[in-house]
Amino acid sequence: MSNTNRLFAVAIAVMAVALVFLMSTFESDTDRVEQLGQAIKCPVCQGESIGDSPAQMARDMMALVSQRVDEGASDQEIVDELLASYSGAVLLDPPASGSTLLLWLAPAVVLVVGVGVILWWRRNPTEATQPEVKEEKPRKLAPILFLAGSLAAIVVVAGFFVQDRDGPNTGAAAIDTDNLEEVSNETMEAVIAANADHPEVSGMRLALAERYFEVGDFSSAFPHYLEVAQSPDASDPQAVTALVRLGWMAWEGNREVDAAVGLFDEALAIDDTSATALFLKGQVLWCSATDLDEAASLFGRVLEDPTLESDTRSVVESDLDALNAGAACT
Amino acid sequence: MIGFLGSAGMALALLGAGLLTIRGIQTARSGERRNLEGAGRLFVVGSIVAMAALQLALLTDNFSIVYTANHHAAATPFPFDVATAWAALEGSIVLWGLVLAVFAWFMVVRYRKSPDELGAAALAVIGAVGVFFFGLMVTVANPFEVCVQAAEVGCVESSPWPFSSVVAPADGPGPNPLLQNHFMMAIHPPMLYLGYVGLTVPFAYAIGALALGVPGPEWLRRSHRSTLIAWSFLTVGILLGGWWAYEVLSWGGYWAWDPVENASLMPWLVATAFLHSAIIQQRRGMLQAWNFILVISTFALTILGTFLTRSGTINSVHSFTQSSIGPALLGFLVLVVVGSFTLFSFRADIVSTSPRVDSMLSREGAFLINNLLLSVFAFVVLIGTTYPLLVEAFTGTQVGVGEPFFNRLAVPLSFLLLLVMGFGPVTPWRSATWAQILERTRVPIVVALAAGLITALVVTRNGWVVLSITLGVFVLGSISGLASHQIQRRTAKTGESYFAAARRVFSGDGGFWAGQLSHSGIVLIAIGIAFAANLGAHLETTIEQGETIEFEGFEITYESPFFRATDSKRTQGVRLSIHEDGQFLGTLEPAANFFGDSDTGISTPDVLHGLRGDLYATMLGLPSEGSTNLNFDTSPLIWVLWLGGLTSATGGFLAYRARHRERTGRSDRQTADV
Repeated sequence: MSNTNRLFAVAIAVMAVALVFLMSTFESDTDRVEQLGQAIKCPVCQGESIGDSPAQMARDMMALVSQRVDEGASDQEIVDELLASYSGAVLLDPPASGSTLLLWLAPAVVLVVGVGVILWWRRNPTEATQPEVKEEKPRKLAPILFLAGSLAAIVVVAGFFVQDRDGPNTGAAAIDTDNLEEVSNETMEAVIAANADHPEVSGMRLALAERYFEVGDFSSAFPHYLEVAQSPDASDPQAVTALVRLGWMAWEGNREVDAAVGLFDEALAIDDTSATALFLKGQVLWCSATDLDEAASLFGRVLEDPTLESDTRSVVESDLDALNAGAACT
Repeated sequence: MIGFLGSAGMALALLGAGLLTIRGIQTARSGERRNLEGAGRLFVVGSIVAMAALQLALLTDNFSIVYTANHHAAATPFPFDVATAWAALEGSIVLWGLVLAVFAWFMVVRYRKSPDELGAAALAVIGAVGVFFFGLMVTVANPFEVCVQAAEVGCVESSPWPFSSVVAPADGPGPNPLLQNHFMMAIHPPMLYLGYVGLTVPFAYAIGALALGVPGPEWLRRSHRSTLIAWSFLTVGILLGGWWAYEVLSWGGYWAWDPVENASLMPWLVATAFLHSAIIQQRRGMLQAWNFILVISTFALTILGTFLTRSGTINSVHSFTQSSIGPALLGFLVLVVVGSFTLFSFRADIVSTSPRVDSMLSREGAFLINNLLLSVFAFVVLIGTTYPLLVEAFTGTQVGVGEPFFNRLAVPLSFLLLLVMGFGPVTPWRSATWAQILERTRVPIVVALAAGLITALVVTRNGWVVLSITLGVFVLGSISGLASHQIQRRTAKTGESYFAAARRVFSGDGGFWAGQLSHSGIVLIAIGIAFAANLGAHLETTIEQGETIEFEGFEITYESPFFRATDSKRTQGVRLSIHEDGQFLGTLEPAANFFGDSDTGISTPDVLHGLRGDLYATMLGLPSEGSTNLNFDTSPLIWVLWLGGLTSATGGFLAYRARHRERTGRSDRQTADV
């Protein structure tokens, strides 16, 4: 190596080390909320993450992520919660394990095979000068083997697409991604109708029912809650939400105390710590003056939950005080 | 009437494509120089008539055919009425057919000038592909079916027979709102199709050569040149697609690894690999079998991409409603893959070439590494796009593969590609030594490291940004070093002025230098992406009317809400004035558009473009009670990305011109070697 080359080599090494050192001192300021937002697919969008989508549901989910991050939940906890409570939400960052292990392995395998082929090809020159050395047999066999292999592959692939054609995505194609406030209720109705038998439609049903519920449109909300509550595919939190809402509607709409309490009990049978079920059951018992002691004990159980948010806590506490003071419900 | 015209056009084109196939095969088999012009003319004229009929129906608000009845509205303004022709499935197939026919026509013209069997065989292949697409058009995706039972808006029942009694609805629902939000819709799809469909041409030459059993330099030369054209259009098309997404979809990004974006990227990557390995075959007579594989794969990937995005298997902005086109496309894909590779394996003995690389430390070696990286890259995109489908089909579980997966693999691959891009062009053919390579790259490496250090000290220590600058400057440095070396050598030899010598050097090996221009474009793309993706800031906030906030050096004032209405849409938004250091930069009007009677607002961002980057504003929710909820993003240096894309595509077009001149012998070609 010439002196100049040596000089350059030293300079390059020193500069490279300095550069690597400088880069290593970099602290990323991408916050966890943003990263988590990128890693979860928005349930009502066309392939967008909740961090990217302006859809209402995505923004609600982002608000939840940010709240849970503030509360100190771990990434895994937050992801698990979101996936459990919003069906159609999918992790976009597949782990290198389980059903997505192959996804990560395959590119590595292709790379290794590629390197291998290049090395093999380089070291095994064919004798161009002696073409007659080539054996006839494998050459004729190759196309036939290829054809047979292809046919087998086609059968497999055809089977897969025949199976897939009634897949879950069909009706969802009607969803509009980038609407500002929300996917319109009509769109959601249409999508739900198109996917009525799809096991994961419950999440969307519930979201739609919640919208009707929030604006007081009980009659529209009712069939969807009922469907979710009866669906074997609904997750536990979904079923609990649906049952609680049905119970509240039975009371609020028709003053049916027994029906309401029955529904709350069903919800509590699934999750006996559900704060909303406990609280609303207490409310109904109190407001209908059916069983004030039971109501007080239910409010007490709500307050036992350490994760209860502070404003909810204060509402329950003031209700409990009012109940104990013998006041009528508000 | 329009229905009849369109149907007649489709029928003519189908007939022309069929004739082209038959006569092409006859010519190729008999060796007689038959006239293919008539069939070619029928094909292209029929396609033009079909597209013209569609455009006429759209421009005159003729709702008698099912396409306008279901995808157009009288109020849709220019140029979106024109663009509606490719805003839904059936129309996009018409555009596909037209582009294919135009390419076929250029091949016919070429064949007329110098008729040969390879040209005839290739035309037969193009004709067969044309038969497939026009076959789709007249059967499962017929835009010219006439409406026989109208709804209030749109058409309920239609008939393929143009003579049925026509009942035209009074109006249609209009195209997908997202597709009538930006003038880019008029340009992006045709550009992309010129690239995507253009990749049929190299495939046709490859299959022609295989069928005839005439491998060698001729098919490769033609496939290489036609790939250059298609690749350049595809580059422009992908770039415009990214720009469209950035300007219209309100998430502030340009690339989301959406299946349809991936569908355009996969053939682009494999075509890029071919553009490089074709050069090895031309220079050294190696890798012919690999080149066949690349060309066939590229075409197969275009059909796979079309299947994925057009069959309703995947949801995206581009996947129109579900139709029965899926099985047809899948069948065609299988036919293409199995047919081509069977033919290939029957010809395996004559396509394999004997020369091997002498040393991996050589230009050939650099090309091989480039091909390996690009192939792995394409595979990553392929598996990431199809994996969720396959898992769901076989196990019923939903898995998501999104940005995090793609970025984690694509980013390192891209940096490796940049590294090879810096070393490759200065590495001698056949065999080199490290000392040689170091001598040629030591100055660029030092300059690049210096640029990296300056970036790290002055701008940011973010590794992705620093690496992109370092590697980018390395590539640019090694290209300019090579250029200046050759120019100096020439001035020393001939005594020409520097500029005259530069002109001779660049035009002497135009293909090579055009390629280096494309490389420079890729460098700019990498730098633009690194800056925009890593140094952008984000703010979600509520502003009162009259209030001014500060964000990344911009002073943003909420001036007033506004409301505008045209026949086709109502726009509700807010007007923001932007200042920097008290100096007025411009006004931004993020808004929501309501199309037709829809009460669903389509969020439309507004962007303030600037040299140091863009300010991107989106409205979150309609303004209420004097305050508004807004989203702001900055995209530093994003214009570098757009510039890089254009530079890269320009390089592709120039390379086509240079290779064309080489073929016609108008170039005094020199060797690219140092």
